[in-house]
Amino acid sequence: MRSDFTDFLRAVRGPLGAIALTMALGFLLVASISDEPVLAYRELLFANFDSLSNFALFLNRATPLVLIAVGITFAFRAGVFNVGGEGQLFAGAIATTVFSIVFSGLPAIVLFPLAIAAGILGGALLGWIPGVLKVRLGVDEVVVTFMLNTIALLFTSYLVNQVIRDTTAYGAVSWMVPEKIWLPTIPGIPGATSGFIIAAVLSLASWVVLFRTKWGAEVRAAGTNLRYAEAVGIAAGGRVIWAMLIAGGFAGLAGALYVLGIGHRFEQNFSPEYGLVALTCALLARIHPAAALFTSLYYAMMLNGAAYMQISTEVPRSLVDLLTGLLVLLMTARFTLRRRSGQTSGAF
Amino acid sequence: MSIESLLASVLEQSTPLVLAALAAMITLRANILNVAVEGMMLVAAFSAIAVGALTDSAFIGFWAGLAGAIFASLVFSTMTLRFGAGFIVAGLGINLLAAGGTLFALERYYNSPGGLRPIAFPDIWHVPEGSLSFIPVIGPAIEGQSIIVFLTVLAVPACWVFLYRTPTGAYLRAAGEDEHAARSAGIDVVRMKALAVTISGLLAGLAGTQLAMDKLHFFLPDMTAGRGFIGLAATLFGAGQPWMTAGAAVLFGFFGALGDRLQAFDIPAQFVLMLPYVAAILALALARWRIHVRNKPSKL
Repeated sequence: MRSDFTDFLRAVRGPLGAIALTMALGFLLVASISDEPVLAYRELLFANFDSLSNFALFLNRATPLVLIAVGITFAFRAGVFNVGGEGQLFAGAIATTVFSIVFSGLPAIVLFPLAIAAGILGGALLGWIPGVLKVRLGVDEVVVTFMLNTIALLFTSYLVNQVIRDTTAYGAVSWMVPEKIWLPTIPGIPGATSGFIIAAVLSLASWVVLFRTKWGAEVRAAGTNLRYAEAVGIAAGGRVIWAMLIAGGFAGLAGALYVLGIGHRFEQNFSPEYGLVALTCALLARIHPAAALFTSLYYAMMLNGAAYMQISTEVPRSLVDLLTGLLVLLMTARFTLRRRSGQTSGAF
Repeated sequence: MSIESLLASVLEQSTPLVLAALAAMITLRANILNVAVEGMMLVAAFSAIAVGALTDSAFIGFWAGLAGAIFASLVFSTMTLRFGAGFIVAGLGINLLAAGGTLFALERYYNSPGGLRPIAFPDIWHVPEGSLSFIPVIGPAIEGQSIIVFLTVLAVPACWVFLYRTPTGAYLRAAGEDEHAARSAGIDVVRMKALAVTISGLLAGLAGTQLAMDKLHFFLPDMTAGRGFIGLAATLFGAGQPWMTAGAAVLFGFFGALGDRLQAFDIPAQFVLMLPYVAAILALALARWRIHVRNKPSKL
């Protein structure tokens, strides 16, 4: 047990160090522009737990983050640097919305699963494109997923502005989805979507799939060394494409659950860059599905806390964007004292 | 729609793309996939406008833009080469930091989260109107273009000469092709990579400065709008060759310019705006597919 514990400490040391360093730098920044840095940080970190409604908003914020981040762990474990979470999320959200509005006449028991499935398929389609391009042709997935983000955002903007726009509402929002298929809230926490429970369960299930099944081992083998995996008889290309389908599917599910559980319609500006933030969470969790649950909760706290901080201390909420940049920049760096790598011989 | 104005708008749209593509190309030759071009451009655009408005000098604003991007590139190379951060992760970090940092500055120091629009802003040098109208077609298209457009036209052969006709360029390519071989030949691989990142900062700085100072004279959050990534796609499409890369970037710029024209018809604006991104994905797939077909063993 003791060695397990030291292993655990060793694993969390890096991410926690990066978080601590970033928060410390952020505190210095806040202290230099505000008279009340302590209050600002209290709001940033703990205002989420001041009331039950804040806590509900916190869980709602975490739900898409957890799902996208867990999906990204599948892609990364399969060796695909998927930065397309945002586009896959939008594809899922718009697919669920369009399906629910078009087939609103169906009974809830039929419509609900189909609407969710539409969202998952929408996201999975956007994950499939870079996956298949990478495996079959070797096209770089970072560029393709980034391009697909922009394409997906423009496409949803077209649909929500020209096709399914709620003409009675202000801004680019769609018609409401039928109330009969709204997700219920978590009992005891009014306003908190039960989608969070789904996300939490899926994050643990993903850990089992990736680390405790043969299929997961094959995905990870394909991600570590594709040609070796193929040489030992794994259909590695297929595993990689499946991992991308799952990554896209998770992000699509995040969009579907957002529409059915939180927004109840598609809003063009519903995402504060969930895709990139979830990528940050996944990387911070060292590509581990269960750890991604915790890093996503941390980030949900920061995202919502920023708003509370801005209200009570006038520190701009974009502080969190700035800190995210710092964190991503710092989190894979190794700050050990050593000689310049140029002077060391051998591999680095 | 006249051919002159289309040509002028292709030149205008292509310039930041060509510069971004060259910035990504230089690092690609040192075996670094540089996703930070986007962030460097954004920093350049912001510092060009902020400093230019402050000093009321286009000259100082221009240099401030370049300095900002080079500073960002130094942060990038320090984190990756000195502290061993992953290139893609740290590059994304630079992008996020540039977006977050400029937004923070807008909110905190300018009190306008929507953007920075100085009331008066000095002009950088443009080709005077009417000075070249004696040349058919090309003359009117060049009129009104900024000095940076000409620097871009020079930058493509300059990159070619640097990579293929100077010792440093050869070392840089060697460091990118095979790190271990280059090291045993006595090349300081880390220094070559750092040099590549710095040059890429300079080129990205030109791109961002052009974006902000050419016609617009203001800064908007996220005004680079993925151009760094389109540049990266152009580099991959052009296989890291200067002329091919620039050609691909001009092609994407052409799609952008064409998009502006098509908006006059009944095509929804969103589909038109998608064109360069769709073109980039198709072009990348096509380029890889060609290699794929070529490398296929022929049937007996």
